[in-house]
Formats: sequence, structure tokens, C-alpha cells
Amino acid sequence: MAILEVNNLYKSFGKTEVLKGVNFSMEQGEVLSIIGSSGSGKTTLLRCLNALEVPTSGQIIVGGDVVYDSVVQKKPPKEDQRRWQLSCGLVFQSFNLFPQYSALDNVMLAPSLLAKERPDYKANKKQIHEELLEQAQALLNRVGLSEKMNNYPCELSGGQQQRVAIARALALSPKVLFFDEPTSALDPELTFEVLKVIRELAETNMTMVIVTHEMNFAKEVSDRVIFMDEGLVLEDGSPEEVLVNPKNERTRAFLGNFQK
Amino acid sequence: MSFQTVFQSLTEGFGLNCLIFAVTLITAIPLGLLVSFGSMSKFRPFKFLERISTSKILRAISKFAPIRWITRTFVWVIRGTPLMLQIFVVLYAPGLLFEMPLRSRETAVLIAFAVNYAAYFSEIFRGGIEGIPRGQHEACQVLGMTKAQAFFRVVLPQVVKRIIPPMGNEIITLVKDTSLARVVAVTEIIMCAERFTKQGLITPLFSTGIYFLVFNGVLTLFFGWLEKKLDYYKG
Ligand SMILES: Nc1ncnc2c1ncn2[C@@H]1O[C@H](COP(=O)(O)OP(=O)(O)OP(=O)(O)O)[C@@H](O)[C@H]1O
Ligand SMILES: [Mg+2]
Repeated sequence: MAILEVNNLYKSFGKTEVLKGVNFSMEQGEVLSIIGSSGSGKTTLLRCLNALEVPTSGQIIVGGDVVYDSVVQKKPPKEDQRRWQLSCGLVFQSFNLFPQYSALDNVMLAPSLLAKERPDYKANKKQIHEELLEQAQALLNRVGLSEKMNNYPCELSGGQQQRVAIARALALSPKVLFFDEPTSALDPELTFEVLKVIRELAETNMTMVIVTHEMNFAKEVSDRVIFMDEGLVLEDGSPEEVLVNPKNERTRAFLGNFQK
Repeated sequence: MSFQTVFQSLTEGFGLNCLIFAVTLITAIPLGLLVSFGSMSKFRPFKFLERISTSKILRAISKFAPIRWITRTFVWVIRGTPLMLQIFVVLYAPGLLFEMPLRSRETAVLIAFAVNYAAYFSEIFRGGIEGIPRGQHEACQVLGMTKAQAFFRVVLPQVVKRIIPPMGNEIITLVKDTSLARVVAVTEIIMCAERFTKQGLITPLFSTGIYFLVFNGVLTLFFGWLEKKLDYYKG
């Protein structure tokens, strides 16, 4: 069973049609990279899949749950939308950490707010908090930031901030983790540490969708690559098929830009 | 006339200034927050027209946001007229319009101050809230926070930090504005001092300035301290 299924997704902003019927699906544990030229709709697609944007029409299925279906309703009810957002994680290009919280608190905030909804919260408050703290520490450790847990975002480098953001997204154990150009706001020498974390996540069978302009990284880390052009999936296949032997003329032209 | 008498009278009068100050702060801050929400309201009852019609007039109607319109008009009126006039209106209008005169001049002053400062504060709050980058809201959303959680745990603390300088300004103005209560014969400090002037003694009137200076000096120190305390992060 597919963990993520996107059927005929359309999205327009006013008169501009950005997504023109996007279709793809992916299996649990798969790493999917999305490439495509600027303005092809990659960010818009991720935003639709994370309920930050309401699609014009189409269907989205996450882990077997139909989280969005324009035939059923224009916009899912608040509670359903929240559950959908909890089942997905998104790492932004610009990190969007909460500046007033330390790295550790950035990771812990959402899970501890969520824990308040557990029926046993009042009885086991202390223990639950203890567990969340350990989990957050373990996550920061995993992204190589055990030394920086108590630092504020303004005291961290871009690469460190992005790794905190990854830990923050992981803290809610999403079924699928989305990345929107996670390294494009970073200095070249800082991209390495972020890519290393993503690579390690791939090895743990985390299901991930990565929008990226790092072709070598996409080739090495992905199980599958999608090439998007003008709001459509033009090519979908193994990294070899799409990045080395593309069938489509547009894909070849796009990849040609990177060879120079 | 002894220094003792003057000092006692002025201090008593300044007590009223402090009372007006405190009550205004306590009421105008939550009220201002409410007004700021109103002025950011996106509620559009005729929004559906946008989808079913291409006529220019109907499209214009579809943009109508009544709550925002009402609150922004309120803010315009309050900021556009003198506080002194507003005090008179609050005191006399209920009696003239509804034959329900306000018994207490003090109450009229407090109401006028609360409403006036709520309008000013609301604009500061609105600026602060709208200045928080969209990415912060979106990060909260994708982390499954509710709107209330996002506002109180993420947005509001950042707003507080950003609005301290303009709020400090406004609050220092409030201290001085409290002497406007004098126009409806509420015996605040300047009115007290004027009683001595009538008896030929001018020093008490001039000394009232010391009270304001000391009070605002303390406030300035407080806001400086607060700003420093929140300086541990940027953004
Ligand atoms: N909120 C919006 N309102 C109007 N148009 C938008 C909006 N967001 C995106 N667009 C338009 O949608 C198109 C696709 O944008 P999108 O950000 O999805 O592209 P992208 O593939 O992520 O590009 P890049 O590689 O530069 O990040 C662009 O033409 C953009 O102008
Ligand atoms: Mg983009």
C-alpha cells in the first residue's frame, strides 16, 4: 500500500495555474527527490501536501487516509486538517525556527503541547515530560547537536539551524517528511552537514520527499526522482532513468544547465 | 502655608493620577488586543459573490469585511479627536442622549482613557502581530499546533519583544495625559496645585513636574530593564 498518493492535483492562484494535474505515489521507506526549474511548482506542491495551501482540485492520500478530496469537500474540517498536518512533516527552506526558544525547546514545544491531549496526561505529567525531554535530546544528538541544545537559533549557524528544524519535524514522528530545498539558504560549506543528516535518515528507512537542486545528492540518496515542469510531472523513475538517461527533451535541457 | 500641607495635597492628587494610569493600563491592554484582532479580521460575509459573479460592483461588495471596517473606523475616530473632548463626551452624552447621566466624573474619565488608549495600543499590537513572518505561523501549523497555541506560545512572545519600545512611548504619554482629568474637575495633581496658585503660591504648580519626572524616570528604567531582559534572542 502506498504511504502517499497524489491524484490529479490542481492548484491555481487567481488566474495563474501552477499545478496542472500532478500524479504520483510512493511506498513506505522510499526516498523521492523532486527536481525541476524555478517556478515549476515544486514548493506549491509541497505546500498543498502539507495543508498550507488549499488545492483547487484533486485527491491526497497519506498512509491510507484520504486527507484531501476536492470531490468530498473544498477544505477539510480543522481537526482533520490538524491530524493530516501531524502525519506529515515539513522542513522549510528558511528553517523557521522559533527564535525565543532554545534548540531543545524548539524540538519539544509541539510534542509537549500535543501530549496535553493525552487522556493520561494529568496522571503522568512528570513521566511524559521526562520522556519527551529524552526524545528531544536523542533527536538533537542524532542530528549532531548535543552540544548546542541550550543555544538559541540566533546563536547557531544556518546549517545548525536547519538540523534543529529537522529534529523538530522528526519529534512528531511523521509518516512522510518533506524537505523544500533544505540547503539552498546555506553557504556551500554548510550544506554538507545537512545533507549528511538527510542521508542518515534515508538509511533508517524514513519516507522522504526532497525538493532539491543538488543533483549529485539526489542521485545518491533517492530511490526515485521526479522531474516537474510547468506544473506537471514530466518524468518519474529511478535516479538512473531520470538523471542519467532522461527520455524527455525538457529534462535533458534542465539537466544540461547543471553540467556547465 | 506649610510645605507639609502642599506636599500632602499634591501627593494625594497624584494618587488619583496613578489610579487613572493603573486602571487605564489594566483595561486598555486587553481591550486593545481585542480591537487589534478586530482590525485584522478577515470575516467577509459576501465572499461567495467573488466566485459566482464577475460584475465589478458585486466583487467590491464581496471584499467588504464588516468587523475590520467597524474597528478601523472606531480607531480613526478615537485617534482623530482630542482625548479632552472624549472625556466630555463620555461624561455628558449618556445624560443628553439616553437621560442616564453618569454620576461619577471619575468613572467618565476612566472610561474615556480606557477607550482612547485601547485604540492607540491596538495599532501597536496590530503592527507587532502583522510583523511576525508568515513562516512562524506556517511552522506552527505543520507542527500541528492549534491557532491558540500558535498565538500564545509562538507569536505573542515575539510580539511582546517587538512592541516594547512603542509601548514604552505610549505609556509615558499616558502618565502625562492623566492630568487631563482636570477638565471635568477630577482633583488630580495639577488641579490640586492650582488651588495654591489661586492663593498666590506658584511653586506647588511648578513642583508637580517633579512627580511626573520621577514617575516617568522609573518607567524608563523599567522599560530599559525589560528590553535588556528580552535581549537574549534576536527576531
Ligand atoms: N501565493 C502565491 N500567489 C500567486 N502566485 C504564486 C504564489 N505562490 C507561488 N506562485 C506562483 O506559482 C509558480 C510556482 O511557484 P513555486 O514556488 O511553486 O515554484 P518552485 O518550483 O518552488 O520554484 P523554485 O525552484 O524557484 O523554488 C510561480 O510562477 C509563482 O509565481
Ligand atoms: Mg520553491
